[in-house]
Amino acid sequence: MLTTERGAVEEWLSEFKSLPEASLTSYAVNLKEKTTLVSALYEVIQEPQSELLEPVCHQLFEFYRSKEKNLRIFTLQFLPELIWCYLSVSTSRDLQSSGCIEALLLSIYNLEIMDEQGHSKVLSFTIPSLSKPSVYHEPSSIGSMALTEGALSQHGLSRVVYSGPHPQRETLTAQNRFEVLSFLLLCYNSALNFMPAPSLRSLCHMSSRLCVCGYPRQHARKFSGVKNRIPASSEFMVQLLTGIYYSFYNGEWDAARRALDDVLYRAQLELFPEPLLVANAIKASLPQGAIKGTKEGTKCIQVEIAPTSSRISRNAVTSMSIRGHRWKRNDSADLTLQDELTEIAEVDEGFCSRAASSSSQSALSHSSSGSFSRPSLGKAQRRSLGTRAGVKDRDSGGDSCREHLSRKHNQRAMSENLELVSLKRLTLTTSQSLPKPGSHSLARTATSVFSKSFEQMSGAAVLHNAVGGNHIGSGSCVETNRFSACSLQEENLVYISGRTELAVPGKPQPNLHQRSPSICITLSTD
Amino acid sequence: MAAKKAGSRLEVEIERSRSECQWDRIHELVKQLSAKLISNDDMAELLLGEAKLEQYLKDNPLKQGPSPRGPRPKLTDVRKHLTAALDRGNLKSDLMQEANLIMAKLDYMEGDYKEALGVYARVGLDDIQLVASPPYKLRMIAEAYSTKGLCLEKLPCSSSTNSLHVDRDQEIITCYEKAGDIALLYLQEVERVQTANIQNRSPKPGPAAPDQEMSFFLETGLQRAHVLYFKNGNLTRGVGRFREILRAVETRTTQNLRMTIARQLAEILLRGMCEQSYWNPLEDPPNQSPLDDPLRQGLNTKNYALSRRPRVYSGENIFCPQENTEEALLLLLISESMANRDAVLSRIPEHKNDRIISLQSASVVYDLLTIALGRRGQYEMLSECLERAMKFAFEEFHLWYQFALSLMAAGKVMSSAASLRGVQEDLQRKALLAFQRAHSLSPTDHQAAFYLALQLAISRQIPEALGYVRQALQLQGDDSNSLHLLALLLSAQKHYHDALNIMDMALSEYPENFILLFTKVKLESLCRGPDEALLSCKHMLQIWKSCYNLTNPSDSGRGSSLLDRAIADRRQLNTITLPDFSDPETGSVHATSIAASRVEQALSEVASSLQSSAPKQGPLHPWMTLAQIWLHAAEVYIGIGKPSEATACIQEAANLFPMSHNVLYMRGQVSELRGNIDEAKRWYEEALSISPTHVKSMQRLSLILHHHGRYSLAEKILRDAVQVNSTAHEVWNSLGEVLQAQGNDDAATECFLTALELEASSPIVPFTIIPRVL
Repeated sequence: MLTTERGAVEEWLSEFKSLPEASLTSYAVNLKEKTTLVSALYEVIQEPQSELLEPVCHQLFEFYRSKEKNLRIFTLQFLPELIWCYLSVSTSRDLQSSGCIEALLLSIYNLEIMDEQGHSKVLSFTIPSLSKPSVYHEPSSIGSMALTEGALSQHGLSRVVYSGPHPQRETLTAQNRFEVLSFLLLCYNSALNFMPAPSLRSLCHMSSRLCVCGYPRQHARKFSGVKNRIPASSEFMVQLLTGIYYSFYNGEWDAARRALDDVLYRAQLELFPEPLLVANAIKASLPQGAIKGTKEGTKCIQVEIAPTSSRISRNAVTSMSIRGHRWKRNDSADLTLQDELTEIAEVDEGFCSRAASSSSQSALSHSSSGSFSRPSLGKAQRRSLGTRAGVKDRDSGGDSCREHLSRKHNQRAMSENLELVSLKRLTLTTSQSLPKPGSHSLARTATSVFSKSFEQMSGAAVLHNAVGGNHIGSGSCVETNRFSACSLQEENLVYISGRTELAVPGKPQPNLHQRSPSICITLSTD
Repeated sequence: MAAKKAGSRLEVEIERSRSECQWDRIHELVKQLSAKLISNDDMAELLLGEAKLEQYLKDNPLKQGPSPRGPRPKLTDVRKHLTAALDRGNLKSDLMQEANLIMAKLDYMEGDYKEALGVYARVGLDDIQLVASPPYKLRMIAEAYSTKGLCLEKLPCSSSTNSLHVDRDQEIITCYEKAGDIALLYLQEVERVQTANIQNRSPKPGPAAPDQEMSFFLETGLQRAHVLYFKNGNLTRGVGRFREILRAVETRTTQNLRMTIARQLAEILLRGMCEQSYWNPLEDPPNQSPLDDPLRQGLNTKNYALSRRPRVYSGENIFCPQENTEEALLLLLISESMANRDAVLSRIPEHKNDRIISLQSASVVYDLLTIALGRRGQYEMLSECLERAMKFAFEEFHLWYQFALSLMAAGKVMSSAASLRGVQEDLQRKALLAFQRAHSLSPTDHQAAFYLALQLAISRQIPEALGYVRQALQLQGDDSNSLHLLALLLSAQKHYHDALNIMDMALSEYPENFILLFTKVKLESLCRGPDEALLSCKHMLQIWKSCYNLTNPSDSGRGSSLLDRAIADRRQLNTITLPDFSDPETGSVHATSIAASRVEQALSEVASSLQSSAPKQGPLHPWMTLAQIWLHAAEVYIGIGKPSEATACIQEAANLFPMSHNVLYMRGQVSELRGNIDEAKRWYEEALSISPTHVKSMQRLSLILHHHGRYSLAEKILRDAVQVNSTAHEVWNSLGEVLQAQGNDDAATECFLTALELEASSPIVPFTIIPRVL
């Protein structure tokens, strides 16, 4: 780290402490201009041994805690890098050095799960339904399409919780790790528009490294450092994809492209359907080539001119035309008997054209549909002769188009196969060195680093169990019981404890003390 | 009188033809008009000029992009007509206006942009009244605004100052915005008049009005404004413009436009906006937004007003989205319904092209739907949407693949996966080989090592399994299944204290994992005595409560099934690994045990619906877990010989699942403890009637039968039990005893030996309790 960068960070550390309350806003606004500071901070975060890391993490948390939105954004921009550093360090089990990053992540999490009133945040959204009128449509104009079984079963709007309520966490464990990190990414994603380019790049880079480290592709990507596979949950990967998708269209095309491929690669290996679904959809909906040429770093949200007339030829049978057909037949009461008869006959012959709806075109549609009706119908056959040539013409056009599509399709399938093949080969040839059998002590975090901040937070929080790991149970006992079984359970518990005289709430569990020695024994025997 | 009436009818016909752009009819009507009155001649010139110009445009449609320039010989006729109409000056003022507007359009066609702009200035385009104008007039005004915008774009800006540039840009865009608004109004009006005509007029309508086709100018007016906004980097106003167009009530002509714009707006919402920069369609946009190019910040609110605006969707309770995913979803559902409407169904070769087009436009929408719904974890709804896509999807890999994935994500194939994951007895060796191969292919994959270890453990090769599970733990030190397996393997070697230490360690990483907790209870009652085990049960109840109380803030069960499902799904995915309620001691998940757990579930639901107090709503898994906790506590009580406490615990479980075979089995155990053998027998029989392959019940029942001297029946049951699970040493032991009692000493010896051998390698809980889901 250069001395100038070091100086920038140190100045930043001292400047904020002496900042008067009144000038906070202008300070926050100017902060994002300081590019040297930002890149220096990235370096600090990437260097777990740096003695600046702890004060930096502390100040980033102070920023996040402030009411100034720009300060919160400033901290949030480092989130991808922080997550990566935490994950890469935690997988190498060098836990001491990731302590303050872990504490920072936990602190942000514990802040974000609460709203201003100190209640648990529950993020929900409404699933729109076409059967309810909206600012953009009227159910009647959608037609019977909206009346599917599924639509009827959820008639009206349903409100769905997609995140929360989340419990306070004091430590990151293997069980809650990705729950916490996914939620943090959710917060990050909700502020994507405010994230500067280096942050998006860092997100894409983090996704790539997380997904390929420890897998054969790591060599292709030339990532060094982490050798282990880093576990990832499918929900976490879906959250990554949201940011990657945004990066595509906001100036980070190349990094996003790589990250998408890597997430797809990992999701295929892990057989995670959720990220596979989303990543496939993102890949399929990328604009073809057009954007690639544009300059890196520019936004490339494009709009195209919409064709106002239907591109689908009028005599093609569509869901709509079939509906219109029947509808017309039932509705036109003023048809003469003969008309009605011929029209019914048409339906019986398997004609599904728009003949009835646009009489001026009926001749054409009769003839074109004649080619697929039963050959015994002399009338239709005779008519079809007239337009044979025209039909052929269109046919060939369609063929080439179809061919083009199928070729594209084959290419995709083939490239996937190639990828699998190469993967196999790589797997066969690589013999990665096993990581050193390190101690398997657990992610005890350096929460003490921020004990002060935590105390303040838990003071604001409703839950009172944020003090120590051993009191989880005692706090929740006080809460009212909602379930009948629970209330019964409470009675029985009293009963049990009366008999055994051991159920002292809040008694430290013995396992906390006995854990570590046993670990060493079992693992070192190998 | 009659003449006047005829005249007015003629006028109505002319107006209608002009509104509906049926220019070929004008010539006929003009002839009739000129026959009526000489003063109509100017009018006739106007009409002929217009009709010929429009016909020319129809035959030679303008293209977006290159603009026309230079005089066109075919249009000299048009200019003659118009000049004739204008020069004589006999026309009423509003007709003069019309003639001028047509003239300006002609000027544009011939590349004389300055002249066209001059005409608009003279006519006072901005002062023309929209109220009470007939539809054709609306069309003319809309086209005039659009033409004005086109002309302004063509003429170089006179000043070089930047601010003037911005003003000029905004002036151009405003022209297009007005043109678009009035165009929408016009299309709505035409359609309204047409439907009114169809309803009011004679039962025999004339030739049905053809679908309106949008002219180049109307199309430009509707689309150019937002294109310019996006080009200038002003996303906020571009989005605003999209929303204005979409809020206008749809007409047949705008359907395609709406479908595309809805999709594009959804794309922008998903690609370029986030929750914190969102504002809803009924709100004013923020004045400063990170969406916009900071160098070109302008006013983000609309800066013009029209005397008449297109009708918009309105009403008391209309749904207005409140966040970007909601809006994107709504737009995509609308697009989807339109795309579905256009799905080309016929499979004849000549419609191949149409099919491809309809497939493309639909699959774009489905991809975006996937992105939006995936973000919110709504895989169930996604699978329903993709199911609808299947009508497009004949031989289409991408859509089928996505559909299959969505079904997986929605958990709809769990039943089939469950039947696959079990490893049948005769397949075990093959499985072992496969896992060995997998491990050698990918030595850094902890899962391969783990599954190999598990398979070895199931076939009771304990030392080998220990080796592999250690490898797995070195690759992935905090994998819960590996830790669990290690503990079970240690318990199989009767190192119970070591096993318990491992369990404690695993639980510090997975404090809410009930499967681990259940094993811990069993180990504790062995190592540390029943009191510790009971304490653990209590701890488990607290964990259960904190888990599910928290996630279920309102357990009123108001039928918000989706909400419940969402929570259940999330729970299932993230935090809680649930104990398998099907018999863990059977080597595989037999069809009967799946059926049994289904029956258990169904019967329990029926039974508990009879008792009003029983909790019925909400996800099932938490309740199953709770029942399991109670049953474990009961087991501990039985172990220390306290039948009444055990009965109380069983009762708790029975309140949740009265028809569970596990509950019935435990009742049998209590009865045995109380010395009530006949009652116990009844309970075991009931348990077996629910789950015919419940090995523990079979074993206890056969013991009772043995005591009653019914050896052959006991033997039969035990042989069946061995068939189900060949590694249960108690069963082998009982079988030995029965055979011994029958005097079959050789066979009995063999059974005892097998039992001894198995007991030596028997874990505290069957290895199969560890979930095996790939």
